[in-house]
Amino acid sequence: MPHAFHLPAQMAELLDDDSLTLEELARACRRAPEWVSEHVEAGVIAPRPTEGVGLVTWRFASTTLVRARRVAELEDCFGADPHLAALTVDLMEEVGELRRQLRQLRPTGPSP
Amino acid sequence: MEFKDYYQTLGVEKNASQDEIKKAYRKLARKYHPDVSKEADAAAKMAQLNEANTVLSDPEKRAAYDAVSAQAAAQGTRAGAEFRPPPGWDTGFEFSGSPAGAGGGDYSDFFEQLFGQAARRGGGFGHADPRAERRGSDHHAKIELDLQDAYHGGTRTLSLRAARPGPDGRMQSEERSLEVRIPKGVREGQLIRLAGQGGPGLGEAPAGDLFLEVHFRPDARWRSVDRDVYQPLPLAPWEAALGASVEVQTPSGTVEVTVPGRSRAGRKLRLKGRGIPAATPGDLYLEVEIALPPADSDAARAAWTALGKAFPTFNPRETQGR
Repeated sequence: MPHAFHLPAQMAELLDDDSLTLEELARACRRAPEWVSEHVEAGVIAPRPTEGVGLVTWRFASTTLVRARRVAELEDCFGADPHLAALTVDLMEEVGELRRQLRQLRPTGPSP
Repeated sequence: MEFKDYYQTLGVEKNASQDEIKKAYRKLARKYHPDVSKEADAAAKMAQLNEANTVLSDPEKRAAYDAVSAQAAAQGTRAGAEFRPPPGWDTGFEFSGSPAGAGGGDYSDFFEQLFGQAARRGGGFGHADPRAERRGSDHHAKIELDLQDAYHGGTRTLSLRAARPGPDGRMQSEERSLEVRIPKGVREGQLIRLAGQGGPGLGEAPAGDLFLEVHFRPDARWRSVDRDVYQPLPLAPWEAALGASVEVQTPSGTVEVTVPGRSRAGRKLRLKGRGIPAATPGDLYLEVEIALPPADSDAARAAWTALGKAFPTFNPRETQGR
């Protein structure tokens, strides 16, 4: 018998563009914080522009988490170089957007 | 629990080398990668591949799994059949508990029974410090909403399956129904965080979080680009030509819109601030389309003929040249 949990509304938090710290991003990707900072330095993932200087002030958009998890997964699955993983994720994001637009043009049709 | 044949999942022999396992996994991972695969059950298949690879690519886990497989074979158990390892099956094995990959976290009951607690402990299987504390892992899921939910908020009930420690301390699968209030202002691709709804923590450590990735259901009435929303606005030819005041159903309710005369198909009318709500809300763009009344009666055909006669020099194809 499944248990039903009713979650108070305030617990559902909308993650804005600068919500995630470096540690939170790393944890959600199951990676060490160094993995995040290395990938930022390599230009594979980007923090939001902030006024402060240094890792402590870095903040990441929630869409960056989706991107970082994909990069991590490609590195895991295929032993991919971070830049190759980033290139693949760029293409995945573009294909995702094009598929979304196509679905919009044919909302009742099957997913391409 | 159901016995899993990880060698069969990866399509390799039981004596396959690490290199053969890696190659087989990568080949199948490419085929079933959920972002590119056209296979219907790609995500489920990918989870099975990840699980098989997590076990077989780790010499310690593989040795333990081989031992369990041998016991299963001795009992006459085949893949997919019910199987329960005898107590103390893991005696003599010491796991380094290497963390699961980024795609991890979606394991079968079989895996959770054999390796779940060890992976969570992160230390040796039989030698971990029981007082050790470790925050639970973050979980990830996708959720499909209607665009109106971004305007008004909404409530969704999610069914989640996750492994949690039972009363006897062993991991067991639990299905939970979770009611979530969707905050207003959510955008395509954005994440919602439910604090403490991820994997359970070890000891007194807090549970992980659950991240929900939001996608809007395709809807012929409107589409969003970031916080801006685009909506087709069909107009009768005379409304577009002469201008009109029309009622439009927008995601935020009915709006009276003044259409300027000489509007062509494709023209965009901007309703400032009527996009997705936020401190700086998006805009709503109405995209003009011309709808033609049907020529399905003598009177209608006569009206179309009269219109044609009223514009004897009108050439709709003049931009195409001769």
